[in-house]
Amino acid sequence: MTHAIDTSIYSAVTDAIRGEAQRILSEGQVSAVVGYAAARRKGSAQPIVINQADDAAKLIFTPACVNNLAVYLTKAKKEIPKTGKIGIVVKGCDLKALVGLMGESQLKRENLYLIGIPCAGVLASTIQPDKELTHDSIASKCRECDVHLPTGCDFLPSQQPGTPELEKRYAAEIARLETMTPAERWKYWKEQFSKCIKCYACRQVCPFCFCEQCLCDRNKPQMVETTPRPAGNFAWHVVRAMHLAGRCAGCAECERVCPMDIPLNLLNRKMAKELKELFEHEAGLEVNEKGPLASFSEKDDQSFIK
Amino acid sequence: MQKYLSQQNFTTLLDKLITEGKRVVAPRLNSGTVLYEPLQSAAETVTDQLPRRSGKEAFFPLCEDIMSYRKEGQQVLLNDIDPARFPETVLVGVRPCDAAAVPVLDAVFSWDYKDEFFLERRRKTTIVGLACTTADDACFCTAVGLAPDNPKGADLFLTPLEGGGYACETYSEKGEQLIQAHRQLFDEPRNSTALPLAQPQTETVDLKKVKAWLDEHFEDPAWDSIATRCVGCGACAFVCPVCHCFDIVDEGTEKSGKRRKNWDACGFWKFTHHASGHNPRDQQPKRYRNRIMHKFKYYDDKFGQILCTGCGRCIRLCPVGIDIASIVEEISKK
Repeated sequence: MTHAIDTSIYSAVTDAIRGEAQRILSEGQVSAVVGYAAARRKGSAQPIVINQADDAAKLIFTPACVNNLAVYLTKAKKEIPKTGKIGIVVKGCDLKALVGLMGESQLKRENLYLIGIPCAGVLASTIQPDKELTHDSIASKCRECDVHLPTGCDFLPSQQPGTPELEKRYAAEIARLETMTPAERWKYWKEQFSKCIKCYACRQVCPFCFCEQCLCDRNKPQMVETTPRPAGNFAWHVVRAMHLAGRCAGCAECERVCPMDIPLNLLNRKMAKELKELFEHEAGLEVNEKGPLASFSEKDDQSFIK
Repeated sequence: MQKYLSQQNFTTLLDKLITEGKRVVAPRLNSGTVLYEPLQSAAETVTDQLPRRSGKEAFFPLCEDIMSYRKEGQQVLLNDIDPARFPETVLVGVRPCDAAAVPVLDAVFSWDYKDEFFLERRRKTTIVGLACTTADDACFCTAVGLAPDNPKGADLFLTPLEGGGYACETYSEKGEQLIQAHRQLFDEPRNSTALPLAQPQTETVDLKKVKAWLDEHFEDPAWDSIATRCVGCGACAFVCPVCHCFDIVDEGTEKSGKRRKNWDACGFWKFTHHASGHNPRDQQPKRYRNRIMHKFKYYDDKFGQILCTGCGRCIRLCPVGIDIASIVEEISKK
């Protein structure tokens, strides 16, 4: 039985963000607004950057607005103007990434105009964009969402999203993997990583992969084999998971875009779980300049030093 | 030559080919994802889905060794890979958009330098095409001059029939040889009607108009509005049946190692990064412009054909929803 998820507020939300984008652009409060626009395929949406108040009418919010637009504000994206204030449409999960980027001195709050989205959820990557949002078609990350209403935005439409209780798939899958023997787990990930084609879509959509030159693109010396073969694939995904530990707040963009269906967010959720257990740290909740892996405290567990 | 092949005999044929020692590559499931991969048994074949990656890797693998080296004392021993050792292959269940890609690739791999890695696999491969009965709204083969039943590139082409089985038609000597060698499995053609073909819904695009605009608009503000959103990954190129850029890297230690050839993509920042530090395509829209230019202008200038078969994979898999069919359509209306 497929239960529909109520997304009837999305058309009112669309009107509200159009109005606000129109206002801040025409008043010159921002130089650009990053949001979503409809695309050719039925029901589909794509990111758009608008500079003119008239273009605000192009903005939409629908269950197909899956992207985390925070990536467009990082220094990896040089095409978006970085001067002056920029407006950005953010779901709660996207806002966590922006908070993290502020903590890492990549963005300044005063340079952002945050247009929040009351969000009941978006579609999974495997679903055609014109399909209805249901308990089955919703993205896995939305099943464990705790930020249907982003806080601290400059503008938030007044609509209240429905928040049905859904079974948490990442938690269940992590529990399943944790009960495996190391050999079984090794086999599981070996099979998953064997599909990797090194297209780096995971890296390119990640708001936290903002290095000017990725370690994995270096060839003098070469740190990680660049060929899509077992050694290099393993190294790449493990390096990335470690580099995101304590920083990734679970927007799951890496997993959504992987053309080979590798469950990458599982790695990130597992790391987040460890960080929570070890340091009581959760990424994306507050602007924090020193994450647990970037600071030392005498209270840290030192039992591993023998 | 026209024949009929029952569903049962289709399976028997693949199993026989495998038993004969041929490499039989067909769409199969690999941890949940359909890919063209060598079969262990005909039962693995999945014929109702377009594989996630294209068929090009049967000739142009994602990664292949092209040479190895070993140091012994003061001597460095080099070992070439011998393409003569590549196995005889039958590539089965190839969609028209993937089969049509192969003759397009022939042009570039046999142009000034003859790429023996590609060409030897090409010589040793028989392509069995399969007509499409389903399409989604990313499919646009009809917009670029192909069709769900276009046999271009296939040696033997199968059309699914009402009530099961396939109508077979040969388009080359290789196709005829495949039938001759297993003639007991093929019957005389039947009068059954073909299953309704897929109907991609995109409009036909006037490719001459697209080319004419591209000829004049290397610099144009449209590139920014098309591709500012591009995040610079290689997903589009890697799933494309005709993108063919590759990179060559040496991997190993001081004692031994291999020279390898990997797929590369013009969307990557690193693709045109010079050793001096200069990058002529310093922003993403310039890289995406190259993708469109190469597909609809440069390849046409050089080889008289376009570098796109309308499979729609790049549309389905673009992380930021870039839609090459709508871009080309828009350009044709400029």
